[in-house]
Amino acid sequence: MRLGSCYLRFLAAGLLLLDVCYGPAFGQGADRGLDSVTLLKPPADSWPTYHGTYSGQHHSRLVQITPANVYRMTLAWAFETGQTAEIKSTPILFRGILYATTPDNVWALDARSANVVWHYTYPPNQGLHIGHRGVAVYKDSVYFTTPDAHLISLDARDGKVKWNVVIADVKKGYWTTMAPLVVRDHIIVGTSGDFDNLPGMLKSFDPETGDTQWTFYSTLPRQAPEAFSGGATGGNMWITGTYDPQLNLVYVGTGNPTPVLAAQDRPGDNPWTCSILALSPDTGKLAWGFQPSPHDTHDWDAVEVPVLVDGNFKGVPRKMLLQASRNGYFFVLDRGTGKSLLTTTFAAVNWSAGVDKNGRPIPNPAKDPARDGRLVAPDEGGATNYRSPSFDAKTRLFIVSARDAYGIYFSKPEHGEYGWAGADYGLFGKGMLEAIDYQTGKVRWTHDLGGGGSAGVLTTDSGLTFTGDSAGNVLALRTIDGTTVWHSRIGHVGNSPITYELDGRQYLLVASGGTLYAWALPEMPRAVKQGSRSQANPRSR
Amino acid sequence: MITHSMRIKVTVWNSQSFVLSLCLAVLGSSQCIAGQGVPGLRVEVRRKSLRNFVAQASADRDPRGQDQASQAQAPQSPPSPQVQAGQTLFAAQCAFCHGRDAAGGETGPDLTSSEIVEKDVGGNEIGPVVRTGRSDRGMPQFNLTDADLGAIVAFIHDEKAKAESKPGRRRNVQPEDLQTGNADEGKHYFNGAGGCSKCHSPTGDLAGVANRLRGLALLQSMLYPKPHKSDSADSPATVSVTLLTGQTVTGRLAYQDEFVIGLTDSSGWYRSWFKGGVKFKVVNPLEAHSEQLGKYTDETMHNMLAYLQTLR
Repeated sequence: MRLGSCYLRFLAAGLLLLDVCYGPAFGQGADRGLDSVTLLKPPADSWPTYHGTYSGQHHSRLVQITPANVYRMTLAWAFETGQTAEIKSTPILFRGILYATTPDNVWALDARSANVVWHYTYPPNQGLHIGHRGVAVYKDSVYFTTPDAHLISLDARDGKVKWNVVIADVKKGYWTTMAPLVVRDHIIVGTSGDFDNLPGMLKSFDPETGDTQWTFYSTLPRQAPEAFSGGATGGNMWITGTYDPQLNLVYVGTGNPTPVLAAQDRPGDNPWTCSILALSPDTGKLAWGFQPSPHDTHDWDAVEVPVLVDGNFKGVPRKMLLQASRNGYFFVLDRGTGKSLLTTTFAAVNWSAGVDKNGRPIPNPAKDPARDGRLVAPDEGGATNYRSPSFDAKTRLFIVSARDAYGIYFSKPEHGEYGWAGADYGLFGKGMLEAIDYQTGKVRWTHDLGGGGSAGVLTTDSGLTFTGDSAGNVLALRTIDGTTVWHSRIGHVGNSPITYELDGRQYLLVASGGTLYAWALPEMPRAVKQGSRSQANPRSR
Repeated sequence: MITHSMRIKVTVWNSQSFVLSLCLAVLGSSQCIAGQGVPGLRVEVRRKSLRNFVAQASADRDPRGQDQASQAQAPQSPPSPQVQAGQTLFAAQCAFCHGRDAAGGETGPDLTSSEIVEKDVGGNEIGPVVRTGRSDRGMPQFNLTDADLGAIVAFIHDEKAKAESKPGRRRNVQPEDLQTGNADEGKHYFNGAGGCSKCHSPTGDLAGVANRLRGLALLQSMLYPKPHKSDSADSPATVSVTLLTGQTVTGRLAYQDEFVIGLTDSSGWYRSWFKGGVKFKVVNPLEAHSEQLGKYTDETMHNMLAYLQTLR
């Protein structure tokens, strides 16, 4: 129906609408919506996937807003969800429509005006409402995960439900928050769940029917005969992965093992928990795995974005994968093989006994949670967390919101071996933005963020870095040296900022609390433009 | 692909009959959520599967696990409808921080041993905390109806009663767990390498500290004493601000970010300045604690606690 009215308006309004309906971003001919070719090379007037591009670099080529003019930015609009739930999602921009989420909610917003095109509300449910990271868009559908671990396909035009399928069983303790990853005709979604000894799952669904195409298990139930994780379960995949179309591999991080803090009954490395995995998007088959935290006992998920970078590493051309992991280590891997190229720390770390020959940190058993407590750095929140870091190719800097943080970890046999199986308490944390030269792992600059930080990071080709501090300022820094060039205290930045260009104007989009803020350079009002022209003209004559 | 008529049906899918038909049509009945919309059945199913899982997982591995499983299998009276409703709400809104059984989770404390819950009667203590939040401790405020709040309160009290009947299963830390240090070594560290005596005295500010704080609370306070409120009255940091006129204003540090510095002056007024327009010097005694976190070993930490426990 919407398509029909679009055609009518097209006839009435003439060629102007051609761009709206069939703009250069979305191909010629039939109105297929967002296609897989566009996903490979997103145009400037879109942010069509969670990471913006498949590489996970969370970087934009836009250059209108620069270090020299960013101080002039003004609020274009703000949109209040009216909810107490924090917006943690990275919005998607497709065809001038923004798709933003909180648990149980999807809003489709006019990116020019913040007008609500539609609002979908999922019914009350018993799933864990911890947060929501966003949707995926493919063709004319919006794919949305729910707290009770369903995947829903919504019509991108009007938010009507096309289908609703179960990803995992909420009664067993699963929930979902993840923005799905679209690779051709695969909608790839992972699960969450820390309170039960459950296997981690990544599933691929058919975009048209919702049928399950494959399921990858990072661990198996403890009692399963073919279990391979030394008695551990867990390893949930709850952050959107990245994709290399040439290698045809999807990269995804896995979460902590369960039982979480009790280590005695799950000896060994506990693969594939706290791991970076390369999988075939077509079959879910594992190509390789690398464990940032073998035998984790501190809840340090390795789900942080696996960022894909191509370039020379120590003089050799490489296809690389970079991750700043929650455990305080920064890794550079060859993403064809999973072999380590560099392992270094980027924050306070006291839990390891060095690095093994394969580039994996060696856990020090003396820092396992114990009856009388162990003082451990980082704390459970980690040296960084799930919000996106950014990679700036010009400066070769990997920029991440980091923390030096300490916690105390306890576990005793009476805590059992189910779910959390222990207790831990954060003591102190100091937040800073770190710019890491990935060739050396050295930190080129740091920018103090106060007690916490943890907002996502966006860089642009104009040399700007956007993030948030712990006091609630959204910040623009010069990428080259971390100097502040703009700020606004909108409250704690809860997501990873994005940017896009519409009608020749670049926007910065940031969430704080339940509100989305769109910033842009000021535009001269039409009346002022006309006024100045009519005043100027007589003089020129 | 589902037809357009079916799409319209999906928009009313909180109807239980439709849930069933959707499950049958799209998912196959085996994947349907059994008992969706029937809270009593749902709770029973969950409990049973959890018990089976624990029993299966641990029966052939560890005698302690068997104890747990048999504890979990002890007969329980079915929870009231209000508690069941509270369980659903708690799972959705509160469980990530406080654990699904209210005994503590990723960031939130164990509510079953909370003083507020202990004092609470019918929500008179819990309610205000839930509705206004504790922003200084990371707890958001929740907009809940009286009925929903009442259900959550009932659930918390129910979990507290359950936890107290099974003391071994609580994820908590008892003072007796922490008695592995050597008080003499701790005293030596206090006066020597730890540098504690530069600011503290066992006969001054720390006299009787072991009577005021016990166990985990004493350990946490020793490692990094967190101000109870984010306001200046509780902050030990002070700041001295020199204005362009040359005048100096001193007070307790009340606010600081990259751009603004604020203090509470001696007469109780809050004052702030843009950092670019003044000179200032912050003195924060807590910095010694944060720096010390990187210097402690677990042994020196436990020795220090043992020493502080002698200060009665």
